[in-house]
Amino acid sequence: MSKAGETTQAWPICSRVLAGLLGGYVFTYALTAALAQLLPLDRVDALLIASLLSFIVYTLVILWAFAARSAWCAWVVVPAAAPLALIGFWPHLLERLA
Amino acid sequence: MKQTLTQSMAWLHTWGGLLFGWLLFAIFLTGSLAVFDQEIDHWMQPEIKQASVSNAQAVEHAVAYLQRQHANASAWNISLPSERMPALRVTVGDRRSGISTYLDPLTGEPLVVRDTAGGTFFFRFHYSLSMPRNPGIWIVGLAAMAMLVALISGIIIHKKFFKEFFTFRPNKAQRSWLDAHNASAVLLLPFHLMITYTGLSIFALIYMPAALDSLYKGDFETFYREHIEVMEEPRQAQTHPAPLTPLTPLAPLLAQAEARMGPLSGVVIEHPGRSDAHIEMRRVLGNRIALTKGHNMVFDGVTGELLAGPPELRPSVLAQRVMFGLHFAQFGGYPMRWLYFVCGVLSSAMIATGLVLFTVKRRRKYASESRLGQQLYRLVESLNVAVISGLAVACIGLLWLNRLLPVELAQRAGWEVRGFFAIWLLSLLHAWLRPRLQAWREQLSLAAVLCLGLPLLSVISDGQAWGDSMRLWLEVTVVALGLLLAWSVWRLHQPQVQHSERRVRHAQAQVN
Repeated sequence: MSKAGETTQAWPICSRVLAGLLGGYVFTYALTAALAQLLPLDRVDALLIASLLSFIVYTLVILWAFAARSAWCAWVVVPAAAPLALIGFWPHLLERLA
Repeated sequence: MKQTLTQSMAWLHTWGGLLFGWLLFAIFLTGSLAVFDQEIDHWMQPEIKQASVSNAQAVEHAVAYLQRQHANASAWNISLPSERMPALRVTVGDRRSGISTYLDPLTGEPLVVRDTAGGTFFFRFHYSLSMPRNPGIWIVGLAAMAMLVALISGIIIHKKFFKEFFTFRPNKAQRSWLDAHNASAVLLLPFHLMITYTGLSIFALIYMPAALDSLYKGDFETFYREHIEVMEEPRQAQTHPAPLTPLTPLAPLLAQAEARMGPLSGVVIEHPGRSDAHIEMRRVLGNRIALTKGHNMVFDGVTGELLAGPPELRPSVLAQRVMFGLHFAQFGGYPMRWLYFVCGVLSSAMIATGLVLFTVKRRRKYASESRLGQQLYRLVESLNVAVISGLAVACIGLLWLNRLLPVELAQRAGWEVRGFFAIWLLSLLHAWLRPRLQAWREQLSLAAVLCLGLPLLSVISDGQAWGDSMRLWLEVTVVALGLLLAWSVWRLHQPQVQHSERRVRHAQAQVN
C-alpha cells in the first residue's frame, strides 16, 4: 500500500467510521425504540428485550458500515432510522400535536 | 476501499483491534483480578485476623458497639464476616458514604485498619477506569462494543475456523503469534462473547436508553418501581424522631432470613432504637446465578414481624439478572471464581497476542517507511510494552505500595492509586526510551521479581509468617504468576536461537 494510496483512502475511511459509530447509534436507537413499541408485551418486558437486543443490532450495523460496497452505502442506515423513530415515538408525537 | 468482505473485515479487525486493544487488555486484566476483589482486600488489610464466629455472635458484638457509640445514628449497617472476607465492619449513616469502623469479630473491640485502595480498586478500574463514573463507563462501553465488533469480524476473517482450532506451530515467529491468537480466541470464544455481552447488559439502559425514552419518557424511577414488585415503603413516623423503643432481638431474624435466602452478607437497621425501626437482612450475592442485589427481607425493628420478602422476579427481569450474574461471577463458589479468573487471563492473553501480532507482521515493512511512519510504529511498540507488561508491574506494584507506604499517611488509599498510575506512566517512558526487546525483558523481569518477592515483603512488614491461610493462598497464586512471567522472560531470550537451530535441523532433515 503506497503512501499516496493511504491519503486518498483517508476520507472514505473516516466516513465509514462515522457512519458506523454515529449513524449506527442513531439507527440502533430508532430501531430499539420502534421494537419497544411494537413488541406485543408488557412494557417492562418490551423494554428489557428491546434494550438487551440493541447491542447485537449496533454490532451488525458497525460491521455493515465497513462491509458496504461504497462509503456512501454505509450511510444508508441514517435515512432508514427516520421511519423507525416515527414508530418508536409516535405516542409522544401525537401528544405534541394534540 | 476494499473489494471483498474478508478484506474489509480484516481491515476493521486489525485497526479497531489495535486502537481499542490497549484499553481492552487493561479492562480484561483488571476484571480478572477483580474476580478476587475481596481476597485482595483482605490481603491489603493485614490488621484483620481470620476468625470464625457465628453471624449471631458477630451481630451481637456489632450492635453492642453501635449502641455504645452511635445510639442516635439514623442507620446502622453491619457487614458480616464471610468465607471470602473475615472482616466485621459497621457503617453509620448511609451504607456507601457513611463512616466505617472495623471490629474484632471475637471481642467486638474496634480495630485500627490501614486505609487502602484494596482489590476494590481493580473492580472500579474494570468498569470505569477509575475515572468519574459516567465518562468512565461510557469509554468502557465503547471498548466493549469494539470487542464485540472485533470478535464477529474475527470470526468472519477466520475461514478455516475448525481446522485451525487444532493448529499450533511453535517457535515459528509470526505464525506462532497468529496461532496463539487464533487458538486462544477460538477456544474461549463462548467466554469472550458471553463476558462482553453481559458486560454491556449491565449498563444497557445507560448506553441505549431508546426503549426507556420511548415507553417511559426516560423516567427510570417509574420503570424501576414497575419492574420489581417493590418492598413496602417504610412507614413514616408521626413525630421526628420517633419515640425510643427497644430493638427486637436479632438472632431469630437472622435464622429466619438464612433459612429463606441462604448465607447473609449483612444487616441494615434503619432508625435503630426508635418505634419506626426497620431491619433489612441482606443476602450474599451469588446464592444463585441471577444477581439479586437489593432483593432482601425486611423486618419490623420492634415486633420482628416480616414486612417484605425477597420479590419473585418476572421472567424478563430474571433473564436480565442472570446476565448480570454471569458477568459478576458471584455464584458457584471458588471453583467458579478460578474458572472465571483463568478464562479472563486467557482473554487478556488473546488480546495481547493480537497486539503483538500487529507489530510482528509489520516489522520488516516499517523499516523502509518514512520517518513519521517509523516513529508511529515505535509508539505502537512502546504502547504494547507499557500496556501489557507495564500494567502487570503496576498491578503487583499496588500490592507492594500497600505494604511500603507508611500506615499513618493521610489519604493513604489515594496515594496507593496515584502510585499505581505513576508506575504505569513510568513504564511507558521506559518503553519509549529502551530498545524494544530490552524494554519487554526488563519490565517483565521486574513484574516477575515483584511477584516472587511478595511473600517475603509480607513476612517482613507484617512480622508474622503466613499465619493466615487466605493471605497465603493469594501469595502462592502471585508466586505462580511470577513464575509464569519469569518463564516468558526466559522465552524472550530463546526464540532467535531456537528458530535458526530449527531451520538448520529442518534443512538437514530435508537433505537426508
